Amino acid sequence: MTATMGTRRRFGAVRDVGTGMAAVGVKELRGRMRGKRAFVILTIHLLLVAGFAWMIESIAERTAATGFGSSFSASAEIGRALFLAITFLLTLITLILAPASTAGAISLEREKQTLDLLATTPISSLAIVLGKLVSALSWILLLLLASIPVVSLVFTFGGIAPEDVLRAYVILFATAFTFGAIGLFVSALVKRTQAATVINLVAVIFLTAGTAFIFVFWTAMTGNSGFLPDQPTREDNPVATLTRHPPEALMWFNPFLAQVDVMCGTETGFGASCQVVAGVTNREVDAFDASGQAFGPPRDSYWPRSLLAMIVTAAILIVLSVQLVSPTRRWRLRRPRRAAVPEPAAGPAWADAAAAVATEPVHGAHVEHPASTETASSVDPASPPPPAGGPS
Amino acid sequence: MTSIVRATGLVKRYDRTLAVAGLDLDVAEGEIFGLVGPNGAGKTTTLRILSTLLVPDRGDAEIAGASVRRNPNDVRRVLGFMPDSFGVYDDMKVWEYLDFFARCYGIPADRRRRMIGDLLELVDLGPKRDVYVQGLSRGMQQRLCLAHTLVHDPLVLLLDEPASGLDPRARVELRELLRELRSLGKTILVSSHILPELEELCTSVAIIDRGQVLAQGRVAEIEKRLRVGAVLRTRILGEREDVEAARDWFVGQPDVVTSEILPDGLIEIGFHGDDDGSALLLAHAVGAGLRVASFARVASDLEELFLQVTSAEPPPSPAPPAPGGWVPA
Repeated sequence: MTATMGTRRRFGAVRDVGTGMAAVGVKELRGRMRGKRAFVILTIHLLLVAGFAWMIESIAERTAATGFGSSFSASAEIGRALFLAITFLLTLITLILAPASTAGAISLEREKQTLDLLATTPISSLAIVLGKLVSALSWILLLLLASIPVVSLVFTFGGIAPEDVLRAYVILFATAFTFGAIGLFVSALVKRTQAATVINLVAVIFLTAGTAFIFVFWTAMTGNSGFLPDQPTREDNPVATLTRHPPEALMWFNPFLAQVDVMCGTETGFGASCQVVAGVTNREVDAFDASGQAFGPPRDSYWPRSLLAMIVTAAILIVLSVQLVSPTRRWRLRRPRRAAVPEPAAGPAWADAAAAVATEPVHGAHVEHPASTETASSVDPASPPPPAGGPS
Repeated sequence: MTSIVRATGLVKRYDRTLAVAGLDLDVAEGEIFGLVGPNGAGKTTTLRILSTLLVPDRGDAEIAGASVRRNPNDVRRVLGFMPDSFGVYDDMKVWEYLDFFARCYGIPADRRRRMIGDLLELVDLGPKRDVYVQGLSRGMQQRLCLAHTLVHDPLVLLLDEPASGLDPRARVELRELLRELRSLGKTILVSSHILPELEELCTSVAIIDRGQVLAQGRVAEIEKRLRVGAVLRTRILGEREDVEAARDWFVGQPDVVTSEILPDGLIEIGFHGDDDGSALLLAHAVGAGLRVASFARVASDLEELFLQVTSAEPPPSPAPPAPGGWVPA
């Protein structure tokens, strides 16, 4: 019987989280979608993506017309250039909007003093955090999905398969999730929304441009010439490799590189994007793909690892955020629980006396010393010492 | 009557500040219970422990039989809490605000709609249903916040300084509202450092200072005990010597414990008798030839009690020593 109770309770907990998420999500989306703002942003977003696509297409067309290369593959080249440009733009938009839309999630509740109201409802911290994240992500998702028609333009040029578009979108969603979770974590960690927004921006710049710069610097310091991979031997121990080549993990949080890897899969020769990926992964470059045609690193050799790293990190950050939001279940990392409990050393002397005052308050104070000044002097020895001379 | 809120030996320390130092509380069902104390006495900390926002370092509290330590979620389901300073969401209409909290309690949609209407009627915000929350006046926001504590029909309401920042009219309305809620069977805990408002409202009070309950009981009971000792103030006409003579005369009278001259020339008498006694004292004073210009019992009863019980330090000053109260070195 206890087992069934336990099971029911566990399912009940899952349902409760669902209800709570729905409550928070509905509330957030109501605010987000109210008025014209959401539609204005959506329109601007689409105009930006479409205008950018048109400009890239014009550039690529001119380059293809004047440059060398057979006209047979010129259209595909335009398609690929367009695809890479649009995915980069969407990645950039996601990187900016995802943390921005979660940066105030928790800190605004703190600033507006509404978190207490939420915390006294049975809604769990997990439901609060997930509800906020899902509502923020659904907004980014809307922007990303709305851009699909523009991205589909690449099919008229060729060079890109629908699976490549699918890969790009999977990475975009993962990017939104990860950077949304980062924004949420910072929002739960930092008290002010303004600070959270700045920290988020710095985090985004560091995880993309910063890590790339460190990677290039590291490569330079190892004495390697640029991106030409240094062939590792199987017997190498991992630490020794680091002296010759920076770790690939450094770039895992750079969604641009993941998109470059997808791009690499569309190249027929050993093109520029494959060269970059190979430089980062430091694997064999002379591999042939399944059809035995392509020349470059194996397809999908890098981005799934990057994706996994991002998603695992996001999950960890969500758990941490839940802990930060919860008023009572917060992990106490700074000091052990015992130390937080006041030890009786200073206690008993005045505590007992004060308890005596508590039970017989008016009589004790009054029968002998009705006037307030005298009450003060009579109560004083029995009560806690004043701030200046307190027990230490 | 059975007790519905019971706290035993609550201790809460913030870093070096002992905010609540072994506090016991016992509130019977159906009462409007006042927590009175100066700023920093530990009222808010106590209410936050009761509302499961803080875990006590020691001790435990039970609300309707559920422990705030072991079953905080059961506590939350029977409890409505209104913090002393609360915010309202931007971009939210009045009905959406209540709808949101009702969803948090998992109340099904069909019941939500009806309940929101009823609640808005109760707190007199019916016509404001579609108004944005931030557009409401302070008093209205207060009532809306009170309404949000009622969405799940709780047994116990914890209201931290509900009347602060309200104009007198809004205060009267709030008081009426609380009485109405009591008639609906709710037990209400109200904290305040303004005594008169509690005196009229509460059935019982606990006086808190430095994180401990100094006195607790029915208002009438505490008042009765209080009659035993009172402070009288009188103005005696004449020169300084006359006033000093009058002071000395008062000391010799029955039931007078102290008598001293205040800086403004009034004589303050620590008096040990009841109202009849003070009438007699006045008659004697006049009979003894003192030129009594005024003669009165000072302050409201609860306030006086409050001052006396908490006067190990000067009465509540505008600048308390620390937010948490007493700082042990």
